[in-house]
Amino acid sequence: MRTGARAIVLGLVLALSACGGSSTTGTSSSNSYQGKTIQLGAILSLTGAGGVYGPSSQRGMVLAVDNINNAGGVNGAKLLLDVRDDGSLKAQSQQVAQTLIQQGQFLALLGPTLSNSAVAVHPLAESFKIPILAVSTTGIHIVPDCNYPKTDACTYVFRDSLGEETAIPTNIMVYAAKAHPATGVLMVANDDKFSSDGGKIVTNTVGKYGIQLLDTISFSKTITDFSVPVTKAVQKHPDVIFITSLGGIPASIMIEARKQGFTGQFLGGNGFNTAVVSKQAGDAGKGAESGSAWYLSNTFPSNAEFVRDYKARYGNDADQFAAQGYAAILILADAAKRANLTFTDTAGDRTKLRDAMESVNIQTPLGPFQFTTNHDVKQTVWVIAMDGHGGFTLVQSVNPS
Amino acid sequence: MAQQLLNAIFIGSIYALFAVGYTLVFGVLDVLNLAHSAVFMLGAVITYSLVALHGVPFLPAAGIAVLICGLLGLLIEFVALRPLRRRNAPPISALISTIGLALIFVAIVEQATPGTLFSWLWQDGANAVRFPTDAVPNPTFHVLGLTIEGTKLVILITTVLLLLVLGYVIRFTQLGRALRAVAENRRAATLLGIHVDRIFASTLFLSSALGGLAGLLFGLAISDISPYIGRDQVELKGLAVIVLGGMGSIPGAVLGGYLLAMIEVLAFVRLGSNVEAGVAFAALFLVLVLRPQGLFGARLRERL
Repeated sequence: MRTGARAIVLGLVLALSACGGSSTTGTSSSNSYQGKTIQLGAILSLTGAGGVYGPSSQRGMVLAVDNINNAGGVNGAKLLLDVRDDGSLKAQSQQVAQTLIQQGQFLALLGPTLSNSAVAVHPLAESFKIPILAVSTTGIHIVPDCNYPKTDACTYVFRDSLGEETAIPTNIMVYAAKAHPATGVLMVANDDKFSSDGGKIVTNTVGKYGIQLLDTISFSKTITDFSVPVTKAVQKHPDVIFITSLGGIPASIMIEARKQGFTGQFLGGNGFNTAVVSKQAGDAGKGAESGSAWYLSNTFPSNAEFVRDYKARYGNDADQFAAQGYAAILILADAAKRANLTFTDTAGDRTKLRDAMESVNIQTPLGPFQFTTNHDVKQTVWVIAMDGHGGFTLVQSVNPS
Repeated sequence: MAQQLLNAIFIGSIYALFAVGYTLVFGVLDVLNLAHSAVFMLGAVITYSLVALHGVPFLPAAGIAVLICGLLGLLIEFVALRPLRRRNAPPISALISTIGLALIFVAIVEQATPGTLFSWLWQDGANAVRFPTDAVPNPTFHVLGLTIEGTKLVILITTVLLLLVLGYVIRFTQLGRALRAVAENRRAATLLGIHVDRIFASTLFLSSALGGLAGLLFGLAISDISPYIGRDQVELKGLAVIVLGGMGSIPGAVLGGYLLAMIEVLAFVRLGSNVEAGVAFAALFLVLVLRPQGLFGARLRERL
C-alpha cells in the first residue's frame, strides 16, 4: 500500500516538474525511453574524513533511484546508480572520476563529497562535457567558476547543496539579531578547503554585525587532540566560537571547550548539519547553530514522504546530506525526463541533459528547487540548533532573496 | 601558558608510552614495527567496542584490550617477522611486512559496519566515535586557574608508573637481562642458553600491550576513536620521538615524547599551527645534526 502511494506521489512530482520545465525548454520525450537505462555515477567519500557525510548521500540517492524505478522509471527508462568511494582523498577522487568518465556510459556524475576534491573533479567533468551535480560541496569557487582562479563559467557543473556563502552569513545574521554578540574567535582547519573557505566567509561577515574577531586559530584537519588550540581560543573569552570544519572536528572542539569552561555560543557551517556530528557533540553541542539546507521536521509533502521512506528503509532519521542526495536524483530524473535523450549519442545526450537541468523546477525534500543562472541552488535557509541528543531544532527559516 | 604546558605533558605521556613500545622492538629485534600504530588504534577500538557495544565495564574492557593487543604483537612476530628472519631477509622486508599488517588492521576496522563480518568489533566504519559519557567518570578539577580532567591525570600517573615498572623489569629481572643480552648480541645470547625466539615474542607482546594501552588512554582522554588515530596521530611522531631520544633507548623515548609534545605546543602557541609541525621536525633535524645518535646516545652496547 505504502509503495503504491509512494509511486503515485513520485509520479506526480515528476509529472508536475516535467510540466514546469517544458515551459522553458520546450522539450518533450519523443524518443522512446522504454526499456533503456540511464546510468549515473557518484563519487562519494564513504571512508576517510568525509565518511561522516558520503554514506548519507549514498543512502539518499539509492532511496530515490529505487523509488523512481519502482514508480515506473523515467519515461520507462531505469535509473542505474554506480557509487564509488574516493576515500576523502583529492587524488583518488580525481582518479575515480577519470575512470567513470572514460567508461563513457554515464549520462551524468554526482559528487564528490568534499569541496577539496571537487576542485579537482569538476574541471575534469567540465572538460569532458559531462554534467556533474555537486550534492554536498558548499565551499566557494564550486559554481560557476570551477576552474578558479579562471573566472569563466563552467557550463556542465551544478550544485544542489546550499553554499556556505549563503548559509554562514544567514546564520550569523540570525544569531546577531537576537543575541548581539560582541566578540568571536574563529577556529579553522587551514589544510582543508571546506574549512578555510568557511573561515574566509566568517571573517568577511562578522564586521557587518558588529562582531570583533579576536583571533583566528588555525590547525590541521588531521589532529584529534584539540586541547591546545581550544585552550588558546577559550583564553580569549569570546562570546562566540566559530567553527567551520567538518567531520568529527566540530564535536571535538565543542566538547573540549565546554570542559575548559567556555559558556558562549558555537556557530558553524555545513559541518554541523548531520545527526552524527550532533550526536558526537552531545550536551556540549546543545544550542550550536548553523544554516542548513534542510530540516528533518518540515512537513511539506516532498519532505514528509522522503523522511518517512528513509526511516522505513534504513531504520534511522535522514540528515541533510541524505536529503541533498535524494534531491539530486530527483533533479537528474526530472531533467532526463524532459531531455529527449537518444540513448545512442552519449555526448549529445549529456548536453541535452545539461540544458534540461538548467530549467529544473521541482519539489524536493529541500523545498521548492531551482538552479540560479550560475547553476547554484536557490532555496530557503533553515537555521537550526543542535538539541543535545543527536537531533536539531528549527531556529528560523530565511527565504532566498 | 601554564594550561598549555599541562596539555603538553598529557600529550607527551601518550607519545612516550607509544614510543617506548616502538623503541623496545627496535632495540631488541633491530626492526621497525610499523604495525605498532595500528595496534595503538586497536587498543582504543577494542576497549570502545567492549564498553559501548558489549556492555563491559571500562576497567575489565581495558585489561582485555591490552591483553588482546599483546597477543596481536605475537601475531606480528609469527606472521610478519619470524618467517622473514628465518629466511635471513633484510630488515627492510620486515618493515614492509609490518606495514602490510598495519594496512590490514586498519582496513578491517574501516570496513566494519553493522551486518559485516567484523561488526562485533566495530560498527562505525570510517567514522570517529567517543566513549559513552557514562562509561568512565571524568571529573574536571579547576586548580589555580588550570583545568585538569580526571582521565588525563590518570594518563599521566599510569604512564609514569608503567615506565618505572618497565625500567625495573629491564634492569633487574631475568627477562630484562635476557632482553638486554639479545639486544647486545643475538648469537652470544643464544650461546648463553637464552631462547632468542621466545625473547623476541615476549618483546613483541610487551611492546604491543604498551601500544594498545597508549591507544586506549589516548581514545579515552584526548581524542575521538577512529580507524585512523594511529596513522594520523602517532605513527610519524612516534618515529620522531625515538630518533630524538636515541633509537632503541627507553629513557630516550620517554624524554623524546615529552620533548616533542613540548616543542609542538610551544610552537603552536607562539607561532601558530602553520609552523607547528615544521618547528618540531626542525628540532629533530637539529638534534640529528648535532648529535646523530639522539639525545640519549644509545650505542649498540647500551641499548635498552
